[in-house]
Order: sequence, then C-alpha cells, then structure tokens
Amino acid sequence: MQVNLQYQPAMDVEIWKSQLRKGAAELAVLALLDAGARSGIGLLDALSDRPAIGLSDGSIYPLLNRLEREGRIAGRWETPHGGGRGQKIYSLTADGASALRSMRGAWIGFRNELTAIVGERR
Amino acid sequence: MSDATRIEDYLRALARALRSLPERDRDDIVAEIRAHLEHRAGEGRLDAAIKSLGGPDNCARTFIEEIKIQTAFADGGPAKTFGALLALASRRVTAAAGLFVSLVFFLLAAGFAFTALAEIVTPDLAGFWVGPETGSIMIGTIEPPSVPPAPGEPPAPREIMGRWLILFAAGMAVLFFVIGQWLSRFFIRLMMRRKSPSAI
Repeated sequence: MQVNLQYQPAMDVEIWKSQLRKGAAELAVLALLDAGARSGIGLLDALSDRPAIGLSDGSIYPLLNRLEREGRIAGRWETPHGGGRGQKIYSLTADGASALRSMRGAWIGFRNELTAIVGERR
Repeated sequence: MSDATRIEDYLRALARALRSLPERDRDDIVAEIRAHLEHRAGEGRLDAAIKSLGGPDNCARTFIEEIKIQTAFADGGPAKTFGALLALASRRVTAAAGLFVSLVFFLLAAGFAFTALAEIVTPDLAGFWVGPETGSIMIGTIEPPSVPPAPGEPPAPREIMGRWLILFAAGMAVLFFVIGQWLSRFFIRLMMRRKSPSAI
C-alpha cells in the first residue's frame, strides 16, 4: 500500500464526500427499486451517469445483501426467457416501501433546510 | 489467462474467504458475484469490474462485517452480539493504534519542549548528558551530584551541548509534533477509507 503523509485538503473533501454518501446510497437504491425491480447490474447501470452517488461494483452487493436481510428488499433468481445468464432481481417489500416513504420525507426536509443555509451557487 | 479462468480463480478465492458464513449465504453471494463478473466480461469490462470489487479477501470482508452486525441486531443472542462487537472492535483497532502512536510522538514533542524551557530557566540542570565510561546518553534534566565522585567511583556524566540545547530541543519538539500530527491524519484517513456505503 502506498502511503502519502502529505496534508492534502482535496483528499479531506473526498473523505467528507464518502461520509455524505453513506446514507444517500441506501435511499437511492430503495427509490430506484420503487420505480421497478432491477438486478445489481441494472442498479449500477441506472447510476452509471450519477457518479456523485458513489455506488460502485464493490459497494452495491454488500448493501443489497444487508437490505435483503433487513427485509426491505426481496431478491429472486431469474433466467431470461431465451436462456442465458441468470440474474438476481430485487424488488421493494412493503417494509422497504414504508422505509422509503419515511426516508424520502426526512431527505426532502434535510435538503431544503441545508440548501437554505448553503445556497445553490456552485 | 481467459476471462472464464480469471472469474473462476476470483470466485474460488472469494468462497474461501467467505468460509466463516453459513453455506447458503456463501453460495448466494458467490452466485451473485459470478453473475456480475460474467455480465461484465460479456461487455468486455472484466478488468474494471474486478478492480472495483477489490481483492477477494477485501470483497468478502465487506459482506462478513455487514452480515455479522445485521444478524446481531436481528437475533440478539449473546454469541452473535459478541461476534458483532468483535467485528466492530477490529475496525477500532486502527483508531487505538493511531491514538497510541500519535500520543508517543506528542509526548516526545512535549518532553523536548520542556527540556528547551528548562535549559532557559535552569541551565545547570538541563543538558545533553554523556556518561564518560558507559557512553550512555540522556537528554533532559538531572539532579547533579552534590559531592564529586570518590576515587574508584564512575565519573559523573558530562554535559556536551551547552546553550545549543535550546535550539536542538526546540527543533526536536517541532519535528515530533509535526510527525505526530501527520500520523494522526494518516490513521484517520485509514479509518475513513472504507468501500461500503452502509458502514456503521
């Protein structure tokens, strides 16, 4: 492992961004599944043009695994009609839909208040 | 090496790293990662997919930590709760090690700063002392012997730096303080550098 001891403000912003993403990734996944059932690949493809959310191949499967164990999403293995590679397709459960409603409300309140403080100028 | 061989090698290592999980959980994770890698290989993006997943051990560890913690919350049995606590504590080992190493450097910095101050206030007591026979060295403050050593006794340590000790000790204090600060930041970055977005 390469270690850089130099103080880097830009890297500290990266750490802050990773903290910001922790809760956001779960909300993004639940919201995408609310729009329709998807596989892990399907979720990654839907998020591929949204790098700020920060979900990668390496982080999405442990998250899906946890959400499934918590009963917020349900996974089932499906094989395409014409044959080929099977995929695990995830859909939102009733518990997941309820959690999403609460999280969405909390997020909108949080976003509005923070935007009022920080502003929207880049 | 063909894509199929690379995928099989990765999955074999992943299954080995997941051996602490029940067989059903392990098989489910390996099957899903297999589907993912085969899909990416079909798109010609196997290298990027493997890089993003990280090594098999790293990939497995993320799953295991999530499962242990979630199981402890769901079941609440003492063994599972203790196991989850251990999993959490292992992350905190980095923090504890960082705290210890940084503290050592900060204490060294404080010691040198005290010595520089002592050389200003009580120059007779502070110094860079060398034992003439043993060659041992001591930096700091000592109580000088009130009477000269009797014949046959080892001679008293000799101070070799004089007033230069102020500059030397102050420089060492700044150096150790800066190293301590660097190490604190380094360990904090190590703690933060986690891939899972759902980490506690």
